[in-house]
Amino acid sequence: MTAIALRPPEIVMRLQRLGAAHPTRLSFLRQLIRRAAREKWRVRKHLFDLDDNGFGRAVYAVETPARTYSLVAFSTPLDDEKRSDRVIAQAWDTSYALYDGLPDSAEIARLEANAPLQEAGRYTSRELVLARANKSVRLFEEVAATLAQGRQPDEEQLLGVGYLLRTTAVYGNGKFGIADRDEIASRPELAGSFQAEMLTVWLIRSFTLDLVDHIAHRRNPAGAARLAPDLRRALGVGNATGLGMAPFLVRHPLLTHSWFLARETALARVRAEPHAGKVERNAFSKSLADLRRRVARWHSDDSRQAAATRSLADDLDTLAENLDRLLAKPRPWDPLYRFAEHHFSLEGQEACVSLILEPHGTLVDDLGDTMKADETHGHAIDGSMSCASLRQALLDSYSWAESVDFADPAANARFWYVSAEKLEPRLGERFEEDGAELEQPLATARDALGLAAALSEEPASSRVADFLLRRPEWRHAVRRAQIVAKFPYAEIHDNLIGAELRPVDILRAKLAFFGARSFDPRSDRWLRIALFSGEPLIEDVGTAGEAA
Amino acid sequence: MIDLSLNEVETLSTKAARGAGFSWGLAEDIGRAARRIAVEDEAWGVAMLSLAENAQSFAAPDPARAARWRCGEADKPAERPLCPIRTAALLLDDPPSASAIPLAILDVGLPVWLDAMLRRSNMRVAERPELLTPRADVVIENRAEVAQPVTGRRGAIEERTLAALNSFAARTYVPESERSRVRGAGGGRVDDE
Repeated sequence: MTAIALRPPEIVMRLQRLGAAHPTRLSFLRQLIRRAAREKWRVRKHLFDLDDNGFGRAVYAVETPARTYSLVAFSTPLDDEKRSDRVIAQAWDTSYALYDGLPDSAEIARLEANAPLQEAGRYTSRELVLARANKSVRLFEEVAATLAQGRQPDEEQLLGVGYLLRTTAVYGNGKFGIADRDEIASRPELAGSFQAEMLTVWLIRSFTLDLVDHIAHRRNPAGAARLAPDLRRALGVGNATGLGMAPFLVRHPLLTHSWFLARETALARVRAEPHAGKVERNAFSKSLADLRRRVARWHSDDSRQAAATRSLADDLDTLAENLDRLLAKPRPWDPLYRFAEHHFSLEGQEACVSLILEPHGTLVDDLGDTMKADETHGHAIDGSMSCASLRQALLDSYSWAESVDFADPAANARFWYVSAEKLEPRLGERFEEDGAELEQPLATARDALGLAAALSEEPASSRVADFLLRRPEWRHAVRRAQIVAKFPYAEIHDNLIGAELRPVDILRAKLAFFGARSFDPRSDRWLRIALFSGEPLIEDVGTAGEAA
Repeated sequence: MIDLSLNEVETLSTKAARGAGFSWGLAEDIGRAARRIAVEDEAWGVAMLSLAENAQSFAAPDPARAARWRCGEADKPAERPLCPIRTAALLLDDPPSASAIPLAILDVGLPVWLDAMLRRSNMRVAERPELLTPRADVVIENRAEVAQPVTGRRGAIEERTLAALNSFAARTYVPESERSRVRGAGGGRVDDE
């Protein structure tokens, strides 16, 4: 088999393409579903103590081969004017903790005193994840009312939104005192990226469905309908994500590299396949049809996304029309991808990547295990390197940045900072707002070019260690430069402080790796998505065959 | 006492170090070193506070002194104690050759930080310094294996110390204005959908 080159970072790591990312079978929720199905995880309602209005507490216990984990859920009254997607909200309809083990009544009481407070509460190493979610008010009430009347809700309306509740934060890795990532990283079931967070959201999905059934039943015990199984499986969990998540990909360059490298390696493997078998063709056609249905329901008021979604629909029509011809060629997945590259929008191209991977689990799923990183190694600086070598490495890795003129105010228009009010990352206007002197070190391109200029003033053979001894202000940039030189997908190839920056592009890329769909930008810096829509329910995997 | 996760220890220490005047890159190193101290000593917070409070009183190794260390020549102290962070960074970035080890370094400020920083390498301070030793002469030696990160531990801290570290960390935060409150993260509306 002749190898196919990986798509290079100068193609893959551009913001516009990141902003067109689609989930794939390597996405984290898909990896979780496959493991749960393979290991036949079992979920049971350990506690479901809700009143007629759906307020109270519930515990869903998941038994994996080695351990039990529990979603501890609290549902509380919330005034409508306090219901906000923003991280600065202080109250929510529901709150959750993923608990390590099965909590007793004292532990549930402890969590009930804290979880509804979210950031204002305090947690222990028994909690692995902390989350909250608000009802999609109109839809939730309408579904509850319709079910109470013994009828099923309108499918198109239901799936047009795609979820009944929307999470507004899902915290892991030691936040507010919960368990450190290191404490669970050696457990096979949670070792992959964001597996504990995805498990939490998967369980929240089941709780939201049970919650609406419960309310409908309490309103009309004799005549209420239960939400139909096909609708339950079609619904996911919503999520609103803002700027707080955006710096993650920048702050974790090794992890970012591992995610993109895995996806690009998977694509290259499939493109190098000599034939498309009948099973793979059928699976591709099924995935294409499923995506076309999803795209038809994909609604966004954002004019850019709406236009991109229309282009995607056209691209998928074109793909369907040309599919038989393309798959008849030798090494068919390569011409199929190249056809997309030549004829489709970025949305269409990235959707095509996802579709191409879909039938090829046996060929690519092992790459899921590589989508993590020990970031300790990247922390070390090679100070024996010469300043000239480092400068050359910078010029090679950041050649894409040379065209950016940071003396131009538009190229230097923004600065990232941490807000004193919420301790969250924010994006400021450098020439209009105070605080630029407290800028976070996220101006990757500007700092790389600045470092290269500083190094040019050093004797060529002088060592980086000596340079840093005199110029410690460049330490973060030297560390990054040495990482990026070795790990090509570690860096986003665009200016992250320019006037044209749309942080939602960064958010979308990360969320696509989670497995998100139905991207709905609400501004240039926050968006809504859906997770797990159309995927198996967690209560189904213990009894079903292995998920694809 | 408040029980912090190690990630909170690292995050808080990084911010406090930056607030105390260390560069971003050194602050990252300090955050990781604080984590190493916290798994072994409940008074890690006091050590971190001492580092932040004394950050401006230390001297960085001057190039001539660093050259003497590399050559294995006898060390000469400066007027002010050596910054344990800047010293460790230099040793980590460009480790002394085997012939220069053991390496005696005179008058290191808060030497526990030198030891904590070096613990991610195959170097260590020969006699582990007490947590709050203000300054000491040290000997750097090699060891056979690099210590593996410890898990399953927490970082306890007294509220007063936490508040003091938070005040250093707060120097890195930008106060909200009405404009940034509205624009900063987007949104700003009540969710009625």
